[in-house]
Amino acid sequence: MKTFWVRAVNLVLIIALLIGYNTVLTLRDKDDQIAKLTADLESANLYKQSVMQSQEDAAGSSYEDGIWKGEAQGFGGTIQVEVTVEGGSITDISIVSAEKEDGAYLSMAEDIIPTIIDAQSADVDTISGATFSSTGIKNAVAQALEEAAK
Amino acid sequence: MSKIDIHHLTKKQRKQMHGWLRAIIQLLYFLFLPSAYTAAFAGVKYIFTQLGAGEKIGLTSFVSVLIVLCLYTIVFGRFFCGFACAFGSFGDAVHFVYVWICKKIKKKPVKLPETVTSKLSMVKYVVLAVIVLLCFKGVYSQTQGYSPWDVFSMLHAFNFKLGGYLLGIVLLVLIMVGMALQERFFCRFLCPMGAVFSLLPMLPFFTLKREREQCIKGCSACTKQCPSDIGLPEAGTLDVSGDCFQCQKCIDTCPRMNIHCGLQGLKGNEVVLTMIRALILLGLFIWLGI
Repeated sequence: MKTFWVRAVNLVLIIALLIGYNTVLTLRDKDDQIAKLTADLESANLYKQSVMQSQEDAAGSSYEDGIWKGEAQGFGGTIQVEVTVEGGSITDISIVSAEKEDGAYLSMAEDIIPTIIDAQSADVDTISGATFSSTGIKNAVAQALEEAAK
Repeated sequence: MSKIDIHHLTKKQRKQMHGWLRAIIQLLYFLFLPSAYTAAFAGVKYIFTQLGAGEKIGLTSFVSVLIVLCLYTIVFGRFFCGFACAFGSFGDAVHFVYVWICKKIKKKPVKLPETVTSKLSMVKYVVLAVIVLLCFKGVYSQTQGYSPWDVFSMLHAFNFKLGGYLLGIVLLVLIMVGMALQERFFCRFLCPMGAVFSLLPMLPFFTLKREREQCIKGCSACTKQCPSDIGLPEAGTLDVSGDCFQCQKCIDTCPRMNIHCGLQGLKGNEVVLTMIRALILLGLFIWLGI
């Protein structure tokens, strides 16, 4: 009888702690965001310049426009992706097929897609916990980009 | 129709039917939904990795699987462990084969003595603590290739690129030896996910109890049959043993049909309850998109 309540109280405490932890981080994130936006405003011109610079950089290593296909080994089988290149940069990556991957792992591994688009390159870190599936996506994108760079 | 049949079966037939039902459910989950246990534990690892790095904990697919399986276990007991976990079913199969071979060559199966098993069941908490600590320190990724689960999942997915997994393979083989000698060896002694489940406050409605005053004096048929050597708690209490996998073998073993789940009305219809639980779990898995 007693153990049940001890366990219940422990569980509630753990959940409360985790929620509290997350809330504190969210608040901190917001503060950081406000600070960042203020800083951005102050150096608006500088920021503009840097944006233009980075656009030039991207243009330097640009890919040919089109939809490029690539595939690579994931966890249980082949993963196929389609990479959309518009205006010389990667705008979208979609997974065409990944039949042999486990759902939970694949959806975790898909987090690598925005990272790749941000970096405009497949040379990014894999997702821990879903190493196989995210490596598969990464390598498939790399293969597609090789095509696009020709 | 099936309900009427159930009541007219002999004791032996009932036992066989329950055995078959469990084997079929286990086989189906093993073939089609083999990754839930690693996904749920990846949720535990993810939470501690984020805590250690001071990052926010997102509701990732791993965390969702973890939360859903924990809630399921709180309501239904460790039914997932007993019926749906691929690694648990694998252990049952290894043990079954070992006992079958012993029978064929007319040798008595070796069993671990109870004094040893009761101590070993604490090891899983150590395993959990070590893994969680490694995640918190951010060095868990350096243990790539050590996990017997990774090796098992890769073999299950017909992925045989096992270079760099030597320690994992050795551990898996050692675990298989243990699985043969002791039913539910891994689940009871080593499973870090089981350690999490066993610490949950499980509700008393669907977990098993016995009417102690009706027991035959000195009879311990249920404890002997139990893969975890549990002496079941008294009916009407909130006590649940964390090591009970809900395999329900004890129900058919009891000479007085004295064991039932918290809801008395379900007595004798445990088969229906088993199927309902299996279907609810299946529904949850489909909803989660595992």
